[in-house]
Amino acid sequence: MDSEPQFSITRIKNPRPKLYKITILKDSIRRLSPKMLYKNAVMFIVEICFLIVAVMAIDPSLIPKVSSPGERTFYLEVAIVLILTVWFSTLSDSIAEAQIKNTASTLRRIEKEVPARKVLSEDRREFANVTSKQLKKGDLLLVRKGEVVPIDCEVIEGIAMVDESLLTGESANVRKSSGDTVLGGSVITTDSIVARVSVNPSETFLNKLIKLVESSSRPKTPNELAIAILLVGFTAIFTIIIISILALGVILDLGLDLSVLIALYVSLLPTTIGALLPAIGISGINRMSQNRIIIKSGKAIEAAGDTDSLLLDKTGTITRGSRTAIEFIPLGKHTKKDVGEAAFMSSWDDETPEGKSMVELAYREGLVPHEFAIIGRVKFEEFSASTRKSGASLEEPSDFILPKGGRDLLQRKRIRRKYDPDSNEDVIDIIKGAPDAIKQIVTSVPLNYDSIVDEAARNGDTIMTIAEGGEILGLIRLRDEVKPGVKSRISSVKNMGIKPVMITGDQEATASSISREVGIDEYVSRAKPETKYDLVKKEQARGRIVAMIGDGTNDAPALAASDVGIAMASGTEPAKEAANMVDLESNPAKIIDVVMMGKQILMTRGAVTTFSIANDVAKYFVIVPVMFAALPVLSGLNILHLSPHIAVISALIFNAIIIPALIPLALRGTAFRPQSAMRIFLKNVLVYGIGGVLLPFAGIAAIAFLIAHLAVI
Amino acid sequence: MITPGDVFVILVTSGSVLLIAWFFSRYLLAVFSNKRTRLDRVFGPVETVIYRIAGVNPYEEMGWKSYLKALLYLNAFEAIIAFLILMFQGSLPLNPMHFPDVSWSLSFNTALSFSSNTNLQHYNGGSTLSYLSQMASIQFLQFTSAATGLCVAVAVFRGIIGKTRGLGNFYVDYTRSIVRVLIPLSGIAALILVFLSVPQSLNGYAILHTLQAGASEVVKVGPIASLDAIMQLGTNGGGYFGTNAANPLANPNQVTNLFLLGLMMLLPTSVLFLFGRMAGSMKEGRTLIIASYSLYFIDIAIALIPVTQIAAGMEVRFGSASSVIWTVTSTSFTTGSMNGNLSAYDPLVILAAMFGMIIQATPGGIGVGAMYMLMYVIMAVFIVGLMAGRTPEYLGTKINASDVRLAVIAFLSHPIIILVPTVIAFAIGAQRAAGLGTGPIGFTEVFYEFTSAAANNGSDFLGSSGNTVFFNVSTGIVMWLGRFVPIAIMLAIAGNMVQRKRYASEALRTDSLTFTAVLIVAIFILAVLTFFPFLTLGPILSYLEGFKNGF
Repeated sequence: MDSEPQFSITRIKNPRPKLYKITILKDSIRRLSPKMLYKNAVMFIVEICFLIVAVMAIDPSLIPKVSSPGERTFYLEVAIVLILTVWFSTLSDSIAEAQIKNTASTLRRIEKEVPARKVLSEDRREFANVTSKQLKKGDLLLVRKGEVVPIDCEVIEGIAMVDESLLTGESANVRKSSGDTVLGGSVITTDSIVARVSVNPSETFLNKLIKLVESSSRPKTPNELAIAILLVGFTAIFTIIIISILALGVILDLGLDLSVLIALYVSLLPTTIGALLPAIGISGINRMSQNRIIIKSGKAIEAAGDTDSLLLDKTGTITRGSRTAIEFIPLGKHTKKDVGEAAFMSSWDDETPEGKSMVELAYREGLVPHEFAIIGRVKFEEFSASTRKSGASLEEPSDFILPKGGRDLLQRKRIRRKYDPDSNEDVIDIIKGAPDAIKQIVTSVPLNYDSIVDEAARNGDTIMTIAEGGEILGLIRLRDEVKPGVKSRISSVKNMGIKPVMITGDQEATASSISREVGIDEYVSRAKPETKYDLVKKEQARGRIVAMIGDGTNDAPALAASDVGIAMASGTEPAKEAANMVDLESNPAKIIDVVMMGKQILMTRGAVTTFSIANDVAKYFVIVPVMFAALPVLSGLNILHLSPHIAVISALIFNAIIIPALIPLALRGTAFRPQSAMRIFLKNVLVYGIGGVLLPFAGIAAIAFLIAHLAVI
Repeated sequence: MITPGDVFVILVTSGSVLLIAWFFSRYLLAVFSNKRTRLDRVFGPVETVIYRIAGVNPYEEMGWKSYLKALLYLNAFEAIIAFLILMFQGSLPLNPMHFPDVSWSLSFNTALSFSSNTNLQHYNGGSTLSYLSQMASIQFLQFTSAATGLCVAVAVFRGIIGKTRGLGNFYVDYTRSIVRVLIPLSGIAALILVFLSVPQSLNGYAILHTLQAGASEVVKVGPIASLDAIMQLGTNGGGYFGTNAANPLANPNQVTNLFLLGLMMLLPTSVLFLFGRMAGSMKEGRTLIIASYSLYFIDIAIALIPVTQIAAGMEVRFGSASSVIWTVTSTSFTTGSMNGNLSAYDPLVILAAMFGMIIQATPGGIGVGAMYMLMYVIMAVFIVGLMAGRTPEYLGTKINASDVRLAVIAFLSHPIIILVPTVIAFAIGAQRAAGLGTGPIGFTEVFYEFTSAAANNGSDFLGSSGNTVFFNVSTGIVMWLGRFVPIAIMLAIAGNMVQRKRYASEALRTDSLTFTAVLIVAIFILAVLTFFPFLTLGPILSYLEGFKNGF
């Protein structure tokens, strides 16, 4: 967990994209073909313009009246810059496509052809060795320890620990038992299982997702569609303008040169956004995929950016999901040491996170029972998922040292409670549990027991009572700890005007304490499975766009109803079907990143569109004054004082190179901090709007300066 | 040069208009939200009679299609009536001066011109039209076209605001516009004008025997005050006389000049306030008002840069600055009434005048100005709104691809209907018939003609010299397209939005001053830049060539 408050959205976990330069180059040139280009209206028109000017360069007399034979070099230059403009556009597409193919192949590497052991007989004694490709839905498989699961399947017999790190990036193993889904590509680390293949090889979950990522026939997202329409509209406006100027120029004999007019036309067309729009969309999906989030529809990315309400499960998203002992409270005549030692001993073989945390706390506070100091080093017996037990035998007596950090080792290996396995009689009778339950069992209850317990539990903590030999020693305070970094993320989300809502099955007190701690204003406590769905509906009825993350079957209706539903890869199939995104890492906290990425994609589109349109101001002022040879008096408008040829070529070159210059922006997305929407807006307006008006003046002047001094023309 | 006196005039006029409009918009809200008011006792029975005669059900809620259909049918019907009256005025009563029938092309042009709230006049009212024509086709259409504008505004508001089921009932809006707004207001205005010594008479032209023996002068009086009132109030602009508000009878003095100026600003401004009131957020209305008035002030500032000399065609009664302010105001509010001859002005004044007609929302004509402003808002919200990191929204509803498409078409229609006929005019040499050349002056005059027609402004250089078949027919068509294509499209947008889901929060606050500033720049870039090359060939070229005064 990072504790960074900033959002490092582009997290390239995959090996750096190997961009096969030659392939990209070839692909970008292949895309110059009008057959492929026609989908991009703006660039298609630029290509037509290139053809017209090319004809003029070859033989100006083919286009009389608006060309002159002495200008063939100039026409050639214009034609070259025009085709470069188109090529830069196809290049950006090719790079974006190459990136996403690269990401896809990284994902696909997980799903190689692997050997499988197919169960042939009912009694599980006959097997056939096949490969994953030969499997069919419904086949039974035996997967043993250390083997790779060949395909997505459902466990029907056995319990095993499964390493899904290749799929999800999560290093801890996951326990899978009958009814659980194991994903193809994960590795069985303990025991063996019998599982039923749940998909045909070509339609594994991962395969389907990768295909979605890769498919070149991605439907346009709503905003992409609207921008495309806007661009067509602008193209139409400029086409009318240019044709009118052409007609007037000829009729009124204004000394117009078609190449200059075309230069004006192409400069005015929203070429920048036209060129980069597809790349922005693809790179958005790519960035999501690099974060191991697979988008099932582009629409969902935009909806993510639009989110108003974020439904957060307390457990797993906000808190670690396990209660940790944080304090020993002695009662009556007992001391803290008594409580700590008893907790240590009673929890020694307790494999629950609570138990482990008690051992840790006791160890940290130096409350390890004396007996342990004289016991020998324990030899660990490996944990088996099917017995859910592990053991330890004792070696020669020496100083007992708990492994450094305690927790790491204890996490996977368990030792038996009885540190002296030979003596069966001397079992220390320590019990711990809920205060009410313990109260029934013990012989004596301290004074004011109930009120002390209530007092301790007031701020949402869980209280356990520990008793030894029928006598209550004290209380253990446990708390579900907030994940590091969550608080700052929540505050970022709130800064952006998104309302986080926490949902938990806990008691009111716990819910209010946790939500107060992380700064969430709204929460739902004592939630039942169906509460999530109701909450989604309620928020939507209030005119909000809801994002949520879920894993269980009972989350499926809520996932389907929400505007942005993220299912975890480890979750159930119905949940994944219902969601519009799947998180391969199964990290619920990532929902916040998804929202940020959605916003970033929308912003990038808006920024490049605004920039592209704002650019036109400068181009008008550069080209229009030199456009009509018969009207030299217009030079009064020529604020950059450029000669006609240099003005036209410089404007065109600027128009062309701004595309590759912005490719990194298109692929990475605009940088932003989680601030209020209006502040982000203002910043973007200044950078891309005002900057978009001013930059071309400087850029064109600089290019003109270079051209003049390098004497290219 | 801008003098403190000019600034004072502008601030006093705008200030008092804004103040009155703020109050008046409350009345408009009551009129169009069909709330019960004390005035129901006066107007209610009149309206009930009208509904009964017309056979309309005032409780029917209309979608955009039926609203548009009703609007188009009614306007077409009215235009045809006006056309017939003009065509046959010679045989119709109320023609004491015995003017002959108007030619078919001029009748066509005039009927379309007045029914589209343009009031482009290719005739000289005082010497062409009978009293019946003046009242039954001209003045009648000035009321109905203004009412149509108000209807369009409230219908589009209802749709975009989305608090109602449909866009309202056209017949109710229309009747109420006339009965409760235009007739009472123009009645009051006409009385004030009469008080300020503008004539109102039906007794034929007065013959004035001058001191010179035997010589006499015809004083063309008539129902002038009432026409003046509705011509300004309804942003019509078609005057009783060809010389419009420059005629000493129509606009006798400085006081009437300022009064008429304020009168044409009143309703377009009130409608902008009405938007805020209907939306339940005066701040949303504030955005529109600040944006349109800023553009208006920019226009005036541009026009006042050159020192405009009193030249032939200007009225010494008002002085140069006052004439310039009138011209810019009249184009900014797309009224088109004139208190001087356009040919007299500096090219920069013409440039400023053209800005108003290109943008059409500075604040634009009655009703439609607000409608165009909303078109710009939708486009601007979409273009820049994404930069706030959210699908752009306006008043809680998401701007979708269909809205963008329609708004772009509405926006696009303006340059098309201006540029295409301008090019055709020069291509077939039609400008020669109107006595124009192909230089910047000739170009400006033709370009201005179609811009004015498309913007439903009505001011022009040509005047009665535009009375050729080409210009009559072409501008007639342009005026109707320029009027009803954007209306149809904006009604469609409103109709699509009215039932769309509304969201509680929005990222881009359209009621903020930041957005207002962005909107102003966006309008300038979108509208003015579209026409930049043509402005360059016209007024800008004239300016650079050193024309100080006159075209």
